[in-house]
Amino acid sequence: MNRVITINLNGNAYQLEESGYEALRAYLDNAARRLEGNPDKDEIIDDIEQAIADKFRALLGANKTVVVTKEVTGVIAEMGPVEDATTAGQPANESGQQAGGNQPKTAATDTGAESDPTAVRRLYRIYPEGAMLSGVCNGLAAYFNVDVTFFRIGFVILAFCWGFGLLLYPLLVLLIPLAKTRAEKSAAGAAASATAQEFIRRAKAGYYEGMKTFHDKQAHREWKRKFKQEMRGWKHGFQREMHENAQQWQQNWSQHWAAQHPRTWIGMGFTLEILKWVKLLLLVLASYAVFSLIQHGSVFGLLLPAGIPVWIGVIILIVIYKFVTWPIKALKYGYYAQGFPPCGYRGPWFAGPFTGLVWLGFLVALVWLANHFSPEFHNALKQVPPLLHQAIDDVQRWLEPS
Amino acid sequence: MSINEKFSSIRKGLLEFLVLKIISADHVYAADILKELNATEFATQEGTLYPLLSKLRREELVDYEWKESEAGPPRKYYKLTGKGREQLRETLDYWQKISGTVKNLGQK
Repeated sequence: MNRVITINLNGNAYQLEESGYEALRAYLDNAARRLEGNPDKDEIIDDIEQAIADKFRALLGANKTVVVTKEVTGVIAEMGPVEDATTAGQPANESGQQAGGNQPKTAATDTGAESDPTAVRRLYRIYPEGAMLSGVCNGLAAYFNVDVTFFRIGFVILAFCWGFGLLLYPLLVLLIPLAKTRAEKSAAGAAASATAQEFIRRAKAGYYEGMKTFHDKQAHREWKRKFKQEMRGWKHGFQREMHENAQQWQQNWSQHWAAQHPRTWIGMGFTLEILKWVKLLLLVLASYAVFSLIQHGSVFGLLLPAGIPVWIGVIILIVIYKFVTWPIKALKYGYYAQGFPPCGYRGPWFAGPFTGLVWLGFLVALVWLANHFSPEFHNALKQVPPLLHQAIDDVQRWLEPS
Repeated sequence: MSINEKFSSIRKGLLEFLVLKIISADHVYAADILKELNATEFATQEGTLYPLLSKLRREELVDYEWKESEAGPPRKYYKLTGKGREQLRETLDYWQKISGTVKNLGQK
């Protein structure tokens, strides 16, 4: 038994099996992506939907009201991959079939123009398009098809690990060749790279395209449910992994230090002191980042991509902060687990909450001072209530069934 | 490499010309264009045809009008513009020349 989803194609309702619906949505999303930048995009998509609707209508009859998945994929194969005629005219390529088209006649019509999935990918540095220093992260991101920011953060974290990142980066600059020609750039995957902006653009194109095409309630709810499910799964996975990693660290460190002579306690105390300061520095940096994000919409010159509310940016920053300070925390707990400090005194039972209170007081004092002496911060603070309202509104709109 | 593959880029280049030629019959529906093409070695799919038609329209070579159909929603019927007819005539002349050249070369 299969679920059936009702869709609206150019004003007519059709009932599709769920997996067929997924395939059709993927096809239309892909078509929209391919036609990105074409001034007639919406019209072409409408034409294509109309043609699909005609084919569906031919399949249905009085005793048959549902288009099954096999028929949907058949229709998609018949339609063939959507190519932008304005970008065609480059050397034809026989392989870019992504809609599952398998009949020989597609060979006559295929260009596989921009992002051919079968093209050979090579690791290049991509500079200056979107590069920050010399394009290493940019090239890596394009090669692995991951957001460039992950690599940048990765390098920063590595730089904190005994300066490893600082050594690795110049090495990679020397080792990885620079993409010079257009062909090399596309071999580097630049054309298909999913940068944050690209991702958001695709999400917008795909999501809103989907919403526009399938604006019946059931499909909408279905989509929402799936999205939430995925996000939940991702979150749980991430938490579990973090937890496991932290435990691993703790264990490793305590084992490592247990083997050492007690004299190293002094060195450890010293390290702990340094770590405390590093963490404090990071906290200040993070606070500044949050502040500048709210104030200017940018963090250290990195602009928040359009369409993302500021409050999401703040949450992302907090997550990044937690992520960066997590090894320090794990290290500290590792020490404590080993019974540090050695005199056996670990503070009274309220030590934990107490330090928290001290921090809170410190933070309040800091905010008060900033509020008092910096008119900018004062203004930013005044904007917080409306921002909160907006955030609550956003969440409510998201939760309520449309 | 088969003949079919060797000529794929040539067929692709000719497609626009052939679509213009089919539309010159006046008031043609996209499905009719496909039907006519698919009977030949220039078999084409919607995914290629619709973007091409929109490009031709943007270049003001073709135009369309909406017409009610007996079944389903109104359809777009395409026809050539003056500019389109002009271009088709030029292309036909050029094609005659090319095919003449192909025929005559090596004949002495």
